[in-house]
Amino acid sequence: MHPKSKGKVTGREAVNLKQFNSVLRQVFLLPVAALLVVAGALYLQIRNANATVDLIQDSDARISQATLVSKLIVDEESGLRGYETTGDGQFLQPFTEAESHVQKEIQNLDALAGADADMRHDLTDLHDSHLTWHDGFALPVIAQVRGGGKTDDVALNLHGKVLMDAVRHDLNDIISKAENNRTRRITQWHQQVHMMLLVLLFLALGMGILIGLFTRNRLHTVSAAYRMSLEILGRRAEELFQSGQQLRTTLDSIGDGVITCDAAGRIQMMNPVARELTGWSQSEAAGQLLEKVFHIVNEANRETVETPVSKVKRLDRIVGMANHTVLVRKDGTELNIADSGAPIRDKNGEIVGVVLVFRDITIERKTQDALIANEKLAVAGRLAATIAHEIHNPLDSVSNLLYLMRNGATPEESRQFMDMAEQELARVTQISRAMLGLYRESKAPVVIDLKETLQEILLLMERRFIELNVSVSTDMPQSVCVAAFPAELRQVFTNLLANAAEAASPGGQVTVSIQPQAAGAPQAASTEATGQKMQAGATVTIADNGPGISAEVQSHLFQPFFTTKGERGTGLGLWVSRGIINKHGGTISLKSDTARGAHGTVVSVFLATNPTINTGRDQVTVLP
Amino acid sequence: MKLNSNLVLCVDDEVVGLQVRKILLERAGYRVLTASDGPSGLEIFSSEPVEAVVLDYSMPGMHGGEVAVRMRQSKPQVPILLLSAYMGLSPEVTSVVDLYMTKGEGAPVLLEKLGSLLQPVNASQE
Repeated sequence: MHPKSKGKVTGREAVNLKQFNSVLRQVFLLPVAALLVVAGALYLQIRNANATVDLIQDSDARISQATLVSKLIVDEESGLRGYETTGDGQFLQPFTEAESHVQKEIQNLDALAGADADMRHDLTDLHDSHLTWHDGFALPVIAQVRGGGKTDDVALNLHGKVLMDAVRHDLNDIISKAENNRTRRITQWHQQVHMMLLVLLFLALGMGILIGLFTRNRLHTVSAAYRMSLEILGRRAEELFQSGQQLRTTLDSIGDGVITCDAAGRIQMMNPVARELTGWSQSEAAGQLLEKVFHIVNEANRETVETPVSKVKRLDRIVGMANHTVLVRKDGTELNIADSGAPIRDKNGEIVGVVLVFRDITIERKTQDALIANEKLAVAGRLAATIAHEIHNPLDSVSNLLYLMRNGATPEESRQFMDMAEQELARVTQISRAMLGLYRESKAPVVIDLKETLQEILLLMERRFIELNVSVSTDMPQSVCVAAFPAELRQVFTNLLANAAEAASPGGQVTVSIQPQAAGAPQAASTEATGQKMQAGATVTIADNGPGISAEVQSHLFQPFFTTKGERGTGLGLWVSRGIINKHGGTISLKSDTARGAHGTVVSVFLATNPTINTGRDQVTVLP
Repeated sequence: MKLNSNLVLCVDDEVVGLQVRKILLERAGYRVLTASDGPSGLEIFSSEPVEAVVLDYSMPGMHGGEVAVRMRQSKPQVPILLLSAYMGLSPEVTSVVDLYMTKGEGAPVLLEKLGSLLQPVNASQE
C-alpha cells in the first residue's frame, strides 16, 4: 500500500462511526422538531378559531337579549292596547310586568360584551325612543283611560304607532347588526378553519419535504461512507491478495526448502523445493505433524534430531543452521541438510507458527570432503621435494661409501665407512618414518607424544627451514601425551610451521614450545582462546618474528579460500587446521603484532589429554 | 694418476656427504678443497686456482644456481658440475652449468662426468 493513498483513505474514512451516530441523531431529532413546529402553528390557529367562536357566542347572546327586549316591548304594547280597548286594569298587567323589566333588560343588553360605539349609539336610541313612547304615549294613555277619557282618537294612536315604530326600528337595527356581526364572524371562522387546513397542509408538506430532503442528504453521506468502506475493503483485499501472491512467488522461486507450520507444529505450506527435498506433496503433507514429513536424524549416531520448530518453540527465538543433520525422505533416501527455524508472531508477540528453512548440502559436503582431502595431499605434496632431498643426500653418501669400500680400503677405513653408512641409513629410516606418519590414518584416536611428533615434523621440514634461511628453536621440556589422530595433527603442525617459516624468512626465527597444563589451571594462552576453565592437556605454541598480520587480514584467516600466498597457497590450510583441532575438542587461536619492535605471530593450539572427540566428520563450518 | 691431480672445489652443506665425496675424489687422484656454503665456496673459488667445481644445489642462504652464476662471472672457463637431490631443476639453473646430475646416481657416474669435464682442460695443457 502506498503511503499517499493510505493517508487519503484514512482522511475520508473518518466519516465512520462518530458521524454515523450523529446522522442517526439528526434523522431522529429533525422530524420531532418539525412536528413541534406544526403543532405550535396548529395551536395558534385553533386559538384564533376559538376566539372567533367566542365572538359568535357573544353575537348570539346579543341577539337573544335584543329579542327578549323586543318581546317585553311587544308585551307592553299589547298590554297597553288591551287596557286601552277594555279599560280593565287586568289587561294592563302585561304592561306593568314588562315595564318593570324592560329598562333592566336594556341595561343588560348594554352590559353585554363586544359592543362597539355604533351599537351603544343604537342602544341609546332604543332607550330614548322607548322612553319617549313610554312616557310620551303609554303613560298619558293609561292616565287618560284611568280618568275615563277616550283614547280611540286616530291621531293619538297614530302618534303612538309612530313612536312604537321608532322603537321597533331601533330594535331591528340592533338585531340586524348583531346578526350581521354573527354572520361575519361565522364567515371569519370558516376562513380561519380553511386557513388552518391550508397551513396544516403546507406545513405538513413543507416538513415532509424538509425531513425527506434532510434524511436523504444524511443517508447519502452514510451511503457514501459505506461505499468508501466497501471500496477500501476491496482495495485491501486486492492488496492482500497481491502481497500474498508476491509471497507465494517468492517462496516458489527461492532455492531453499521452506515449510510453514502452525503453533501446534502442523504443516500449513511447503514450497516446491521443500516438496522435492522431502518427497511429500503439499496435499499429502498439509495438516501432518512436521516430525512425520520432516524426519531428521543425526548423521553420526542416527538419533532423531529435535526439529527446528520444536526448538524454536522451546527457546522462543530464531534457531540457526544445524550441521550434520540427515533428512530421511518419504522414499527412505537420505540427504545431508542444513536447517534453521524462525517464529511467526502475532501482534501480541505470541508464537502462532514457525517457518522452517532448509537446504540440501549433500554436494556441498562432498565438495568440502574433497577439499579437505586435497588440502591433506597439498601439505604432503609441498613437503615431497624436501623429503626427496632428505633421502637422496644420505643415499648418495652411502653409495659413495660402498664404492670406496669395494675399491680397496683398509679394514680400519672400512669400519669407519660402515659406521658412516649406518648413520646415514638411520637418517633415511627416520625421515621415511616421519613421512609415513603424515599419511598413516588411524580409525580411532591413539595416544601420541606431542614432543616426538613435533620433532619428527621439524626433521621433515629441516631442509625447508634451511632453504628459507630460518632458524628454529624449541622449548619442549618433557614428553606430553594426548589422545589424537596423529596424521591429522601432523598436518596441522606442518601447516603452522610452514606458515611460520615463510613469515620469518629470510633470517628470522621460529620458536616451538609445549606447555603442559593440569586440569583447571588457568593457562594464559588457552584460557584466552576459550575464556573458560580448561581441562588437562597441553598448549603447543608456534611463534615467528615475521612482519605480523594486520587486523584486517586476521579476521579472514580461518575462512576457506583466503590466502596471502597467491598462486602458491590453497587458502585452506588454517580452515582445515581449525576443523581438525575442533574435531579433537581443542582450540586454535592466533595473535599477531605488526608493531616495529615486537612484530611477529603466535599461534596457540590447545589439546586435551583425554579429549571428547567429535566423531563423524571434521567439524568444519559450512562453506559459504 | 698424475694427469688427474687437478684442483677440485666441492661445495655442499651436507657434512657427511661432503666428507665422503672428498675422500672419493682424493682416492681418484684429485686435489680437493671443500666449502660448506655458497659464500665460503666463492671465496675459495676466487683465491685458489680451482680447475673444476662440484656444486650442491640445495644450500641455505645461497643456492647452487646462484653460486654458479657468480663463478661464471669471475672465471667463466672453470667447468661446473651441479649435484642435486631434486629430480627436476629449472632450465635457468641447468643452462648456467656445464653438467648436472642427481645425487645417488653413484660414484662411477660422478667420476666419469668430472673426468669428461676436465678432459679438454688437460688436453689444452698437454
